[in-house]
Amino acid sequence: MIPRGETQPIEIQMTVNGATRIVRALPMERLLDVLREDLELTGTKEGCGEGECGSCSILMNGALVNSCLIPVLQANGANILTIEGLAHDERLHPMQQAFLECGAAQCGICTPGMILAAVHLLDRNPTPSLEEIREALSGNLCRCTGYLQIFEAVAKAAGATHDGPEK
Amino acid sequence: MRANPAEYELVAPSSLRDALALMANNPGEWMPIAGGTDVMVLYAAGKLLGRKWVSVLSCPEMRGITVEAAEVRIGAACTYTDLRQHPVVAKEFSLLARSAAWTGGIANQNRGTLGGNIANASPAGDSLPVLLVYDADLILVSARGERRIPYRTFHTGYKKSLLGPDELIQTVCLRREFTNCTAYAKKVGARNAQAISKVFLAGVGRVADGQIESVRLAAGSVGPIPLRLYKTEAVLTSQVANDVTFENAKRILQQEVQPIDDIRSSARYRSVVLASLLREFFDSFGGSQDFVVSMNGILARWSQLSATTAAEEILPCCGSRAWARQMAAQRPFEDVATLLATSDRIWLELSAADWLEAFQSHPRIGETRSHLESSARSQQWSAQEQSLATESPDAVKYALAEGNREYERKFGRIFIICASGKSAAEILENLQRRLKNDDATELHEAAEQQRQIVQIRVKKWLTE
Repeated sequence: MIPRGETQPIEIQMTVNGATRIVRALPMERLLDVLREDLELTGTKEGCGEGECGSCSILMNGALVNSCLIPVLQANGANILTIEGLAHDERLHPMQQAFLECGAAQCGICTPGMILAAVHLLDRNPTPSLEEIREALSGNLCRCTGYLQIFEAVAKAAGATHDGPEK
Repeated sequence: MRANPAEYELVAPSSLRDALALMANNPGEWMPIAGGTDVMVLYAAGKLLGRKWVSVLSCPEMRGITVEAAEVRIGAACTYTDLRQHPVVAKEFSLLARSAAWTGGIANQNRGTLGGNIANASPAGDSLPVLLVYDADLILVSARGERRIPYRTFHTGYKKSLLGPDELIQTVCLRREFTNCTAYAKKVGARNAQAISKVFLAGVGRVADGQIESVRLAAGSVGPIPLRLYKTEAVLTSQVANDVTFENAKRILQQEVQPIDDIRSSARYRSVVLASLLREFFDSFGGSQDFVVSMNGILARWSQLSATTAAEEILPCCGSRAWARQMAAQRPFEDVATLLATSDRIWLELSAADWLEAFQSHPRIGETRSHLESSARSQQWSAQEQSLATESPDAVKYALAEGNREYERKFGRIFIICASGKSAAEILENLQRRLKNDDATELHEAAEQQRQIVQIRVKKWLTE
């Protein structure tokens, strides 16, 4: 539902998880809200709503971003990947599989953003060191796991898709 | 209270010209937004005052990093990620690349922009002290035209600046003159990612022979704006990097900043930590503070010795007795820089016979014993200086030995080269070139090499 005000909705076109999607939205609406409410992709979570926690992390044109800080107009024409776009059919992405196997998810709120931040890292650096994993995930906060299982999962996923992480 | 998006307008012009035309219309009505890492936080909290926003991310004139002969020009809408990944920024303006890596997490670095950091004008902006020490210029544009201003004049008060309501920061210009500087930056915060600095210090300086030739300092989170520390710089400039200089600078530094108590830290903590950061920067000046202290200690002790003993002690630095005698006679020295300068002057005025005496105190490159009976200390230093040369393949060692013998046949003395940091291959290349010199030219070339050796040895003597 679009709130009342002076500004009129405009047409926004995006490629979301490989499919072209067209929505009518107000230009200052947050990309996070458009994904969750208009496109019903509720895998992307809202944590702090101010770019501190990384729960709403998605990939926009291949770059990790916090979708809570993006007015949807700035996403017009963009290629978006959310957590829903990672698995193929019944087959989990290796990062999702590694998170499961390592017990890297507890309450689950940070998990979609955490996984996308980790995928973003391996896209650029297939064999990260522990220090590089920690830096890459430093914008994603988790209040349950204590991070160790998460770092383990990322190292494991790097090993699953490549020759293995360099320690 | 969540903001209502219907109360806000946002447009994304495809050119800078269109953006500026909009902003010129009724100056102050339309405000610029780039990556949104500051604006959208206020928006989400329902605290965003402006209602009409123009996105500058879509203006290609605001993007890109251009490397010119004299300067690097950074489009104001370049992100922190752009800065981290650019090879020339990383190499020549490493503090900017490093401070970009300390700003937010990866997701915010992918969106936050350098121009946005400047325009937001937070006293805690991590890239801002760095731009101050690099003495950046800003190019500001509006429909009225463009102007270039020194960044150090930009911030005029808390969240106040020279930027007009119809103006945009288009470009940040960095002069390429920092390759031979000591550069320092440190952020002190709860953590690097997603935590705003409690204290930030950046510095660049040039130090030669223990003397601070030039220095620029700037601090974050210790005043209403990012502060260039002119007064502290003045205390340091042209001074020897010793404890006295540091204490003077620290006193002025603590008068020059105006830290406050706030949610992140206390004024007192900030002041104390800032002085520690200055100390850390100071210690990075071509050697640690221990270096400076012990240098002065040895110099003071040496000044008290009899002339004969003093000459004997400094002799292994050079090998020429005339040089050692004259150095002892010139005591006391005000500081290390004066001592080193005096050494050069005396050396260059010596006779050829004195030079030859000094040359003979060295072993041949690749050998361990010198012609003359030289001191244990001189032999130990020779071994250190020639360490790279002795770790070389046998073929190169053999060619060096052959070259040395040929050199001695031709000039009647051993081949002298300042071997510190040179590989055997580099030494061989020099040797083969110098074999073609005539005797007078070669004598002076050898004397210049010995002068460099003496400089290094005097500094070693003062620290060991």
